[in-house]
Amino acid sequence: MRALDVDPVHGTRRTFRTLCDATSRPGTVHRTQTAPADYAVVAALVDHEVTFHSSDEELTEALASQGRLESAAPAEADIVHTKGVPSWDVRDLERGSLVEPSEGATVVYRVDGLAASPEDGQTAVTVTGPGVDGATTFGVGLPEAEVTALADAQADYPRGVDAVFTSGDAVAALPRSVTLRVADDGERGSEDDGGER
Amino acid sequence: MTETDDIDVETAVSADSVEAALEDLEGEGLEGYNYAYLDEHTKREVRRAILKAIAIPGHQVPYASRPMPLARGWGTGGIQASLSLLGPEDTFKVIDQGSDESVNAANIRRLAADTAEVATTTDTTDADVIQTRHRIPEEVLTDDQILVLQVPVTDALRKVDSSDAANRRRHAHKNYGKMWVHLYENVVEWGEINIAARYPTMVAGRYLMDPSPIPRWDVPKLDDADNLFVFAAGREARIYAVPPHTDVEPLAFEDRQFQVERFPEQSCAACGSTDTYLTEVETDDGTRHFACNDASFCLKRQDDPTLPKDHHLERSGVDWGPGTPDADGDGGVAGDADDGGDDE
Repeated sequence: MRALDVDPVHGTRRTFRTLCDATSRPGTVHRTQTAPADYAVVAALVDHEVTFHSSDEELTEALASQGRLESAAPAEADIVHTKGVPSWDVRDLERGSLVEPSEGATVVYRVDGLAASPEDGQTAVTVTGPGVDGATTFGVGLPEAEVTALADAQADYPRGVDAVFTSGDAVAALPRSVTLRVADDGERGSEDDGGER
Repeated sequence: MTETDDIDVETAVSADSVEAALEDLEGEGLEGYNYAYLDEHTKREVRRAILKAIAIPGHQVPYASRPMPLARGWGTGGIQASLSLLGPEDTFKVIDQGSDESVNAANIRRLAADTAEVATTTDTTDADVIQTRHRIPEEVLTDDQILVLQVPVTDALRKVDSSDAANRRRHAHKNYGKMWVHLYENVVEWGEINIAARYPTMVAGRYLMDPSPIPRWDVPKLDDADNLFVFAAGREARIYAVPPHTDVEPLAFEDRQFQVERFPEQSCAACGSTDTYLTEVETDDGTRHFACNDASFCLKRQDDPTLPKDHHLERSGVDWGPGTPDADGDGGVAGDADDGGDDE
């Protein structure tokens, strides 16, 4: 995706490997070597085989110019992109079915900062479940209410949405398999999780 | 019979030998192929499936499996996953039943080296990505390694019901009663659970998974590992995964526990190991002996018979299935193998 300054072969491959690391180790912060990382993630994953929603015109035009844009409303899209808090509700996104939960959406957030240890102005998110050795806490530059809404969207595992957070060239992921706890707000997200069902 | 007469003289290659003919072709061979053989559209498809598979541990994610330059069933799923992962900075290892040198393993390794410009190795500890058929290496894998397993049959429930649609409904509702009945019938017939490979395994307490035809010996290595496991089936067009630090539990009963293979009184004929997975080999003169199945580790053990399986790690006492220090903690899973005793 040269229009987005992403090397179409090696930039997307590096981004995919970063996503692999981030998704298989939820709550850890990784680097894509390509900024802005949300564009790199979209360039690595989106083509005409999936439906996509973003209100970022630079992004949708770049995809359309390569015949890779299949637009859809947020609630119907496979991959959804937003800068900061979206105008739509993450709880309305596609969660897939019990038979085919992998049809649940992937939501890519561009957030205001990502840190391995939470900084001022960030929401501290504690993660447990598959991929996490014990528990891990990281800081994400999104309001607490949005992270809480995401936890609700992941609550009926295995249905749910998978989230990718980006800031600069940093990437972190919260796949639906994990259990989230926001600050000291008590446990969010599903009886599901319990991780050790 | 007469087909050879029909060769078009115009296009026929005139050369003294096959090798000379191949020599003539050089220079054009790989031109026109994309990096890592697959086109980017295919890679995106495989990559999306791998990420969803990691997000839903143990769930079989469908993907558009492409025709590959070898027959389905020869590792085409594993190759598509590996080629979607590999980059020029990676080192790649391929094993087939523990051997780096089988024809299939050597060819897959060469395909990746030629098209993805990766370095290749036979040393487990040097590899970034390892593609494997039917084994998990004896040496402990680390958090920067990815193991890609080739999968012939994706669904553990297939042996109790041949209907894919019915089995997908069972997975949807975590309805694994039929498998429990199968295991019970096994105990009634044999006195223990008698499943040699493809041992039904519960992932993160939610999905029953076919761990591919690895021996029971390797199943405990999936539990709480440091590395990512990607299972890819080309013929059945499904990808599933086990992320690091995920609970993976072989199904068993309280009074009929899961057991790994036992090799009483046997050691490897080449390196003398008693804590590795052994296979019985018949030599040309008809004698039988046992030898390590993991050829790369066996060679290391021949140089240093006391080399532990976690020799390359800073920490020791890593639980990596039978024959590693903490393995005994798993309720006798490995005990039998360790002391070579058979308690039956």
